Amino acid sequence: MNTFQMIKAILVLTIIGFIAAFSLSFMNKLTTEPIAKQNQEKKLLSLSLVLPSYTIQKENTVTIDGQPFTYWEASKEENKVVKKAWAFIAEEKGYGGPVQSIVGIDDTGKILGFTILSQSETPGLGARCTEIASNKTFFDHLFKNNGSDTEQIPWFQVQFIGLDINKPINILKKGDWNSTIQNILLQQNAVTAITGATITTKAVTLSIEKGAQKLKKALTLHEVKQ
Amino acid sequence: MNNYFKEIFKGVWEKNPTFVLGIGMCATLAVSVSISNALWMGVATTFVLIGSNILVSAIRNITPSHIRIPIFIIIIAAFTTIVDLALKAYQPSVYKSLGIFIPLIVVNCIILGRAEEFAAKNTIFNSILDGLGMGLGFTLNLSVLSIIREITGANKLLGYQLIPGMKPALLMILAPGAFFTLGLLLWGMNVIKARTARFKQTE
Repeated sequence: MNTFQMIKAILVLTIIGFIAAFSLSFMNKLTTEPIAKQNQEKKLLSLSLVLPSYTIQKENTVTIDGQPFTYWEASKEENKVVKKAWAFIAEEKGYGGPVQSIVGIDDTGKILGFTILSQSETPGLGARCTEIASNKTFFDHLFKNNGSDTEQIPWFQVQFIGLDINKPINILKKGDWNSTIQNILLQQNAVTAITGATITTKAVTLSIEKGAQKLKKALTLHEVKQ
Repeated sequence: MNNYFKEIFKGVWEKNPTFVLGIGMCATLAVSVSISNALWMGVATTFVLIGSNILVSAIRNITPSHIRIPIFIIIIAAFTTIVDLALKAYQPSVYKSLGIFIPLIVVNCIILGRAEEFAAKNTIFNSILDGLGMGLGFTLNLSVLSIIREITGANKLLGYQLIPGMKPALLMILAPGAFFTLGLLLWGMNVIKARTARFKQTE
């Protein structure tokens, strides 16, 4: 290889690298705003979803066990009594990466709402934790035009509502969730696992248990300060 | 005109990426669990394929052959990142369900394979047709596989339940099911090919 060829190779590679970097930075600039907006909207929507009818008072970030922990305080007035509620972000390693969710609990320790913020589980298995169940069959959808689905919250996330975080959350294998097994699950403080993705289910329940403990610590810290 | 059709159609049948060339297997096996995943993956891959084919073909005369692979990789990675960002910004639900497989288009051998084998040796227009055909073939493969797997493995089609109360064969939606379906489809395709070849001989 002579010098001319070498210089040419370096030049071509540099120019192409430069063009690629330039177009990517342009694309990045173009999409930063919509992505940030979407994340913000998602967060607000999630908060209103996990704390229905409550108003968010403030957002707190404290350091617990060397890690930052974010939680929200909310309240509502019911029969002239102010009821408090909290929401926190729970995170635990699943099968394909961290599963991040947001959990809302009331002052008795019951889960008011639960929604998954981000996950990178296997599509078709663990990723079904965000699946929205439809009670219509494919043929109903094709041949009977009886309006749109009313159910908008994914079934996996619905089953957490009403569980008690002061007790351990059990995992049962009863197949996909439906309203008929709801009572059995609530009695045993349990959720039904996603078929073929028990690891994902475990990660979610573990993250809620750990997050609840952190929230308790954070609240006692807060009281001590006052 | 006939030639152009041939250029597109070869990606669908004669040189079908997954079934004949045997490339792009990992994405095919992993993503073909539901039809909507399959279609979006097909669209994203086709876009990257056409884009990289155009650029690789445009610079084929100034590319020194001993550094062609890093150049191809830069081009492919740039296009993949563009798709990744665009989906994240404007189609968040799709991005959520495809997850890691969009960034993994970079290492999909269909794209590098076509850049090396076709775009680096042919004109821009032919490369576009080649990319379109290969993308079409890939999307078709994914769709056929995912229809079979979604019906048998999840008892669903397009996310809607098919037969209420029936337990689906979970195996079909897991990795082994992908291999079974792929094997059966390969067998079927080879049978058809052998039949047509014999038919031509007897003529």
